[in-house]
Amino acid sequence: MSGTFEINLRINGQEAVLPTTAEKSLLRFLREHNYWDVKCGCEEGDCGSCAVLLDGRAVKSCITLAAACNGREIWTNRGLGRTDELTKKLQAAFVESGAIQCGFCTCGMIIAAKHYLEQGGKADRSQIKEAISGNLCRCTGYVKIVDAVYGVALEMGTGGI
Amino acid sequence: MKNFNYINAPDLPSALEALAKPDAYLVAGGTNALVDIRAGKINDRTLVNIQGLTEFDRITLQENGRIQIGALTAISKLAASDLLAEKAPALYQAACNFADPLTRNSATIGGNLANASPAADTAPPLLALDAELLLASRFGERRLPLQEFFLGVGKTALVPGEMVLAVEFMPNSFSSFLKLGLRQAMAISIVTAAAALSLDKEGIVREFHLAFGSVGPTPLRAYNGEKAVTGTEFADPEVIKQLQEAVQLDINPIDDLRAGAGYRREMAGVLAKRAILSAGREVGQ
Ligand SMILES: Cc1cc2nc3c(=O)[nH]c(=O)nc-3n(C[C@H](O)[C@H](O)[C@H](O)COP(=O)(O)OP(=O)(O)OC[C@H]3O[C@@H](n4cnc5c(N)ncnc54)[C@H](O)[C@@H]3O)c2cc1C
Repeated sequence: MSGTFEINLRINGQEAVLPTTAEKSLLRFLREHNYWDVKCGCEEGDCGSCAVLLDGRAVKSCITLAAACNGREIWTNRGLGRTDELTKKLQAAFVESGAIQCGFCTCGMIIAAKHYLEQGGKADRSQIKEAISGNLCRCTGYVKIVDAVYGVALEMGTGGI
Repeated sequence: MKNFNYINAPDLPSALEALAKPDAYLVAGGTNALVDIRAGKINDRTLVNIQGLTEFDRITLQENGRIQIGALTAISKLAASDLLAEKAPALYQAACNFADPLTRNSATIGGNLANASPAADTAPPLLALDAELLLASRFGERRLPLQEFFLGVGKTALVPGEMVLAVEFMPNSFSSFLKLGLRQAMAISIVTAAAALSLDKEGIVREFHLAFGSVGPTPLRAYNGEKAVTGTEFADPEVIKQLQEAVQLDINPIDDLRAGAGYRREMAGVLAKRAILSAGREVGQ
């Protein structure tokens, strides 16, 4: 296919038929269609601010080909925040812990944290750091972000001390 | 102006047909491809998406005892594999230290090898395990030892229209991988080393394979280092010293953003020692 063509996918629970081009990243695609909670940071896979769930797995949308997402399911932080209990808890914990300063990294951090906890991640600070190691934050120094995820992990009773 | 076409290949025959066109550019996880597209390093190509070839997204222990990993297997799957943790710890450790958890969900083992970076993390373990590649084009399939695959930075022995289907190797529990980077996560390596070992009852090294990343234009086998150790007593400090000297003949590091050549030489020796000791630890006791 050349030029602009349409792809079918589910975004935040809604069926969507939207135009893309062959080389467009999922990040650009989502932002062009008004999913602005997916942030454009480095656009080369380093910062994680563009993270989304693709068929349930956390990926960096800037290094994902939009066309290859035809027929697949995408959730962003905003969509998850409306429907998903774990994401709601994480979002509340980020606010309570002061894990948000400028807020730019937050949506990607929440996706990485949700992925970690859903994979059976425990209330373990060093494992939480590893889980968010692909997400950069230039404000908080990470301590409060780790605190927020740790708190939710404890509350979920996934173990830890 | 970016100028691309797109083809989705739902199965192997359609992938091979699409790849036969001169402007075809295969995309697996896209973690290298998207960065290269954005940087303008590739243009005027037809992107061929092969993510639908799910039969190449698996790790299998074959009847002949070999492990086969399909090219589309994500690094996260390697890092979650009990089979690899037990039978190919070198590759397992490389997967666990690869990029970060999110990138690991997209990055594939086939893409890592075909991209042919000197720093490709899965290459040294697979070289040390004497892996073989299964390649296919419209004209048929062939096997190629991984040692013969890497020809230079970004250059492989793939002929136009050919793709990697899988990588295969004999398991070796006495194998290890070490990575030195500038930070713990998401770091391109300064040096990596992988070792695979077999010892006899007397503790003599019967076979020893050693491979490095980031100390030459390709990931490489350290044949001089291997020779220095084969037939000697495991963990003899004198032999380890000779190993550290011998690997200097195998490597050809450069200065770059991450480290100087001299530091890389020094660290290659250190990692060679740690890799062999760590590979043999269980047998050593
Ligand atoms: C943030 C970040 C961190 C990274 N960290 C690491 C790291 O720690 N270690 C490391 O080794 N790499 C790292 N990489 C590089 C990259 O993620 C890996 O090389 C990855 O394994 C590439 O796989 P892919 O499926 O994404 O390849 P793609 O981008 O889809 O393809 C890469 C190249 O290989 C070709 N190709 C892909 N599959 C095949 C196949 N089956 N047959 C023939 N050709 C094929 C493509 O045509 C393309 O030229 C990192 C990248 C990013 C963006």
